[in-house]
Amino acid sequence: MSLVVLDKVGKTFRGRTGAWEAVRGFSLDLAEGEFVCLLGTSGCGKTTVLNMVAGFEAPSAGRILLDGAPVRGPGAERGVVFQGHDSLYDWLSALDNIAFGLRLRGLGRRQRRERAAHFLGMVGLGGQGAKHPAELSGGMKQRIQIARALAADPRILLMDEPFGALDAMTRAALQAELTRIWADTQKTVLFITHDIEEAVALSTRVAVMTRGPGGTLKAVVPVDLPFPRDRTSDGFMAAFRQVHALIHAEILA
Amino acid sequence: MSGGRIRDRAFTVLGYLGGFALLFLVWHVAATWLARSALFPPPGPVLERAVVLVEDGLLQEAVLASLRRIGQGFLIGSAVGIPVGLAIGSFGPVRAVLEPWTEFFRFIPAVAMITVSVIWFGIGEESKVFLIAYTTVFVVIIATAAGVGAVARDKIRAAQCLGASRLQVFALVVLPATLPLMLTGMRLAMANAFVTIVAAELVASNDGLGKMLWDARLFMQVEDIFVALVTLGLLGFSVDRAFRLAIQAFAGRYNPTM
Repeated sequence: MSLVVLDKVGKTFRGRTGAWEAVRGFSLDLAEGEFVCLLGTSGCGKTTVLNMVAGFEAPSAGRILLDGAPVRGPGAERGVVFQGHDSLYDWLSALDNIAFGLRLRGLGRRQRRERAAHFLGMVGLGGQGAKHPAELSGGMKQRIQIARALAADPRILLMDEPFGALDAMTRAALQAELTRIWADTQKTVLFITHDIEEAVALSTRVAVMTRGPGGTLKAVVPVDLPFPRDRTSDGFMAAFRQVHALIHAEILA
Repeated sequence: MSGGRIRDRAFTVLGYLGGFALLFLVWHVAATWLARSALFPPPGPVLERAVVLVEDGLLQEAVLASLRRIGQGFLIGSAVGIPVGLAIGSFGPVRAVLEPWTEFFRFIPAVAMITVSVIWFGIGEESKVFLIAYTTVFVVIIATAAGVGAVARDKIRAAQCLGASRLQVFALVVLPATLPLMLTGMRLAMANAFVTIVAAELVASNDGLGKMLWDARLFMQVEDIFVALVTLGLLGFSVDRAFRLAIQAFAGRYNPTM
């Protein structure tokens, strides 16, 4: 059985300028352990899809199931890594940020610190737990977000362009780390991006969306290459070209 | 604390000392060379008079009387303002009902309320404490409500998808995130309190710095007037610094602008 099912999902926003369709008839199944990248041009509705799976927005049409049960509102079984770093708690240390979800669950102070320290190490920030978000670089903040989401042990990790604001080198380093973490934890990941190379480098499947408004699923490209991926290999190039052709048609359309 | 921060602090303190020295120098020059009037005494005689007033215990008495009123009124005003501000910021219907109140009373300054206050509470402590509370409460309400409104949406969403209940979101996210603006509102309110206390004591009081100003005017003790003015300035400055330090201790580590 699929872990997450999106069945003909649509979302229409109603604003001052009238109704506006963000997503239309979007269907996609995610199996356990998959790494799916949702790729699309700016404004195609990919973030709206993620927000609906996270439970921040309710679909206007269709249904979203997690383990066969409909999604209603946000919950701890769906961890989210946000685009910016507004979501971190500035008044807490890095370690306490990671331990936040464990605190909500009423875990004891020692236990949650131990567990948080484990995930701090996993994202490569061992020993930096006492720092506050203001003292961390953009890349480090995104690592803290990833650790915070993982520490709560969700069924699926939802990542909304988490590396979009980072410089190219930091982004490449974090992509490599994410591949390693994904292999270690066996988490299911839904990853939003508009970067074709990023999508091909990280995912087991790339889901390409049509352009917005009212974007929907255009095609799914399986990327059957071993990890870590060699971005100069023929296989990578072929997958890149295939996805690029799909996206390019949307840009020119 | 790192060496850089110690150096920054030292620069700040040196700057303050230099700034005050310059202020007194300008005062001295203006009084001795420009005004040359008994109505504008230079810092020297004012300081001498201050020493006399301290030796007689009069200055401390006035300062304590004023500070006690400010402290009491400020605490009452904040204790009412913070929860009301949190409620306005958190619940739409509460905002709809209470916003007319805050927007209405905000434009009636405490100074204008002195007459009503004296009629209601007499010339005792209550009228002054009421006025300070009055001048405090609306600023604190508005700042706190604005603080709640300014909490980043992703901070709340992040807590929700870590399993937070509504109460947990409020207690563990909204409240700490609002704290810096809450304290900033209290800092502004404290400045208002200093303005209000003098006006209130001018009109109706048996002690305090305002009363000292009033008496000095009656008996043409110009030095006393200046002692009271300088004391007010220094008190306000110190209290404001203390507030800034508190804000920095709570919030400064993630907001470099404060």
